[in-house]
Amino acid sequence: MGALADLFGNLSLGMSVALSLKNVGLCFLGCLIGTLVGVLPGVGPIATITMLLPITFGLDPIGALIMLAGIYYGAQYGGSTTAILVNIPGEATSVVTTLDGHQMAKQGRAGVALGIAAIGSFFAGCVATIIIAALAAPLTAMALLFGPADYFSLMVLGLMFAVVLARGSVAKAMAVILVGILLSTVGTDLESGEERLTFGWSEIADGLDVAVLAMGMFGFAEILRNLETTQARDVVHAAIGNLLPNRKDFRESAAPIVRGTLLGSLLGLLPGNGAVLGPFASYTLEKKLAKDPSRFGRGAIEGVAGPESANNAGAQTAFIPLLTLGIPPNAVMALMVGAMTIHGIVPGPQIMTKQPQLFWGMIASMWIGNLMLLIINLPLIGLWVRLLKVPYRLLFPAIVLLCCIGIYSINNSPVEVLMTAGFGLFGYALVKFGLEPAPLLLGFVLGRLMEEKLRQALVISRGTFMTFIDRPLSAGLLLLSLVLIVIAILPSIRKGREQAFQDAD
Amino acid sequence: MTDTPTGRPVNNGILKSPLDFGSGLFLIGIALLGFVGGFGLPFGQLSGIGSGLMPKSVAVLVGAFGLLLVAQGLFSQGDVLEAWSIRGPVFVLGGVLVFAFTIRSLGLVVAGPLAVMVSSLADRDTRLVELPIFAVILTLACGLLFKELLNLPIPFDPAGLIPDPVFRAYLGAKGGVSQLFMSVKSMIVR
Repeated sequence: MGALADLFGNLSLGMSVALSLKNVGLCFLGCLIGTLVGVLPGVGPIATITMLLPITFGLDPIGALIMLAGIYYGAQYGGSTTAILVNIPGEATSVVTTLDGHQMAKQGRAGVALGIAAIGSFFAGCVATIIIAALAAPLTAMALLFGPADYFSLMVLGLMFAVVLARGSVAKAMAVILVGILLSTVGTDLESGEERLTFGWSEIADGLDVAVLAMGMFGFAEILRNLETTQARDVVHAAIGNLLPNRKDFRESAAPIVRGTLLGSLLGLLPGNGAVLGPFASYTLEKKLAKDPSRFGRGAIEGVAGPESANNAGAQTAFIPLLTLGIPPNAVMALMVGAMTIHGIVPGPQIMTKQPQLFWGMIASMWIGNLMLLIINLPLIGLWVRLLKVPYRLLFPAIVLLCCIGIYSINNSPVEVLMTAGFGLFGYALVKFGLEPAPLLLGFVLGRLMEEKLRQALVISRGTFMTFIDRPLSAGLLLLSLVLIVIAILPSIRKGREQAFQDAD
Repeated sequence: MTDTPTGRPVNNGILKSPLDFGSGLFLIGIALLGFVGGFGLPFGQLSGIGSGLMPKSVAVLVGAFGLLLVAQGLFSQGDVLEAWSIRGPVFVLGGVLVFAFTIRSLGLVVAGPLAVMVSSLADRDTRLVELPIFAVILTLACGLLFKELLNLPIPFDPAGLIPDPVFRAYLGAKGGVSQLFMSVKSMIVR
């Protein structure tokens, strides 16, 4: 009972922060601009957040975080809109939505598809907010028991999850993560003051900026890829139709929404981009449960309602490892770490205890953000459709300019703009060699933390690696990592994994 | 470790999988760069590890995976390398470089249109009349958004390229708008 009272006490504290006129306004603006940019085909959440980061600079930390979170949900939701209307998934998590969502749009039911996606997402957002609020306190308490060795092992586990969940070969995924870790060591070593891997170039003595990396690999490289595939954009010409699903639609999608929400919330909690699994898992589940599975792929509303709910639930619960343990579970959250650092906030268990207003304010704003998405997006669908009809020849130079201004504004540094161009080329090369950039970004952010914790752990244990096995928590996490890697290498399971990704294409 | 996707063109030369082979070489290159860059750094002892331990050991691991992929490229069937386009990277990244080199000295008023126009050349669909107009409008919109509304310290016209009358007319209009804006802003922010 005490815990429940605490929960509501905390949430009402959060609401009092988030419901101030200013913060509601910022949340609204964040959601709106996030959707606006996220709707653009080929601009995923990572590029959106990096591009819009400078907008938050003039704000206080609470306002900035609330706005950033709004931008994040907006970008996520915008991706789904593009998936339904143009058949181009903004990112991996909305791939599944294109299957039935776009079919519905072709049948003149785009409005219903978007409507049910919004309603499902809102329901998922409500549930996920409560889950976050409920889990925050116990997880933070647990995090305080973590020693450096345990942290290190937890990050190893997170990276192993990322390997298992990446597309393509296990060797490539591991290599890419290691490249990310290698990049994280560039710059001055905090302990010894020595410059590492800078080749005498003073501009990178402070290390590489996560925003520079992200913008290059996800902003510019994505444009380069889009320019190659000159696929005609298949914007639906059929009428958008009614936005509100009818009674039959609701009956068909209620259960998928609930199941999708639970699946997505659970998977989002996993370290190492579990959120990406949510929509796939939900789609597969709904197809299995359906009386007539052949309807899937031909505009079945369950195929939109379930995965979209899972998508949004996972997008939100992915905040939990970041906020309680300080460990970003995926590339988007890795970027959030960078954004929070710019505002002087160090993610981790100390946020909740030292800055409860900020912590609970942000959580409360998650719910408000979801409500906003529902309210602003449905009436604005006409605007998004028009935006999608802007030809790519005008769109991509505009994105290039926004990226340039964004990167320049972070440190007022033209050199960082140059470096971003370099990472654009690097990201393009990665893709050409069949290497995925998202695990690299995760490895980059976790690399620094891992080195720090490794050092601390070894100092405490006076130089014996046994500390990683002697501590039961650390040993358990490492064992789990080992199991994961064995599973990933086992051929039978690898085939299944490839199948799952292929089905989605 | 055989990944043999069906329906893909299979290369029958010495390289069974050019894609894996190429990515292996790419990784070995990165590993070498990392190892050379961290060459002089001390390893330290386990009780107090030095600044070189992490970069060097990670570089070695990257190199090992590179070798594995090279071997895989030689001995097991796989995909061919995709062709690289030249036009895209040259113009898109060229536009970014132009922006970086002009933003400090000439400001957004020059860097913006240049970046837009140069990067536009990456696409064959580019239209010669539409492009400059679009570039200028976009730059002005960005200037308004980032400079005026968000107060970011981005140089707009440090070289004084905008003619004086235009600038004064703008200031006059701004005075009117900013009063309106401030009253709205005071309602939203604080």
